[in-house]
Amino acid sequence: MTEQWRLLQTGFKTAYSNMAVDKAILVATSKGKVPPTVRFYGWNPPAISIGYFQSLNDEIDIEACERCGVDYVRRITGGGAVFHQKELTYSIVVPESHPEIPKHILNSYGRICGAVMRGLRRLGIESQYVPINDIVSGGRKISGNAQTRKFETVLQHGTVLMDVDVDTMFSLLKVPDEKIKDKLIADVKQRVTSIRHLLGKEVHFHEVARAMKTGFEEEFHIELIEGTLRSEELTLAKQFEHDCFSTKEWNHRR
Amino acid sequence: MRSQSIYKVPQGKLLKISVEYDEKEYRIKEIRITGDFFAYPEEALELMETKLQHTVMEQEVLREKISSIIATYHIEFIGLNAESLARGIAMCRP
Repeated sequence: MTEQWRLLQTGFKTAYSNMAVDKAILVATSKGKVPPTVRFYGWNPPAISIGYFQSLNDEIDIEACERCGVDYVRRITGGGAVFHQKELTYSIVVPESHPEIPKHILNSYGRICGAVMRGLRRLGIESQYVPINDIVSGGRKISGNAQTRKFETVLQHGTVLMDVDVDTMFSLLKVPDEKIKDKLIADVKQRVTSIRHLLGKEVHFHEVARAMKTGFEEEFHIELIEGTLRSEELTLAKQFEHDCFSTKEWNHRR
Repeated sequence: MRSQSIYKVPQGKLLKISVEYDEKEYRIKEIRITGDFFAYPEEALELMETKLQHTVMEQEVLREKISSIIATYHIEFIGLNAESLARGIAMCRP
């Protein structure tokens, strides 16, 4: 019988809530309270997430974010700053001991990115995994991914770019050298792509989610059953949002 | 004395170092290691910052110290390694 994992479609939430829910699922999974879980979600308002090791002040123009109504949050995963606007974000939470998850961290990135690539193929997009944590199509990045392992549990979350607005992104992110900002923007425009750009049409969030669901099912030989967050997860998520992700102490810690 | 460096790790990520050090002996007083790399467990980086205090900012000394911290505390870096971290810190010297 095909193994069943839980699918969560939690809609569009704030940056604080999104990061709190991912961590709540991680903790619940580590206690054996919930099955392995794949979650699809979006961000409202748009937000920038920064990697665990990044300096908020180095990476983000906080005043510009506040002016534009863009939230910002520090992730529990490493990696770089991401502007979350027109994208599908996924997270996958699985015990480290699960036979489908490679023990070697880089191999597990490749495996989970494999699910995203299968999803993209369903949409008619061929892509490749480029270590450490990118997926590219036609040589341009379409997905960035970040993984943590805590309490013997793997959490990986990542983006699937549906559309991209590099100019807005760079009005919110700081660059090391303002003098070369224009060149940097031009470079990034050359290096990033999106579903819309590749297919020449807009694809609805739900259609991308449907394709990704199949991608994860095929990659991990599982069936995803739509479910909801358990009450314990909701309680944990509220606690993490309040005590961690919405606090200055957490977001400005580096 | 306070100094900073930005170093793109070959085949890796961007490393940013901010360090306060003793000017005479070039010993680290306080260091902050930031960037878009990965480290497992994540909390180990704060430990690394603490353990690097009082270390002389010479690349080889730093590399050995960092390697020993990595081995002792079972830290796994992705997009960063002992050599590059040592180099990024040594670059902060005038």
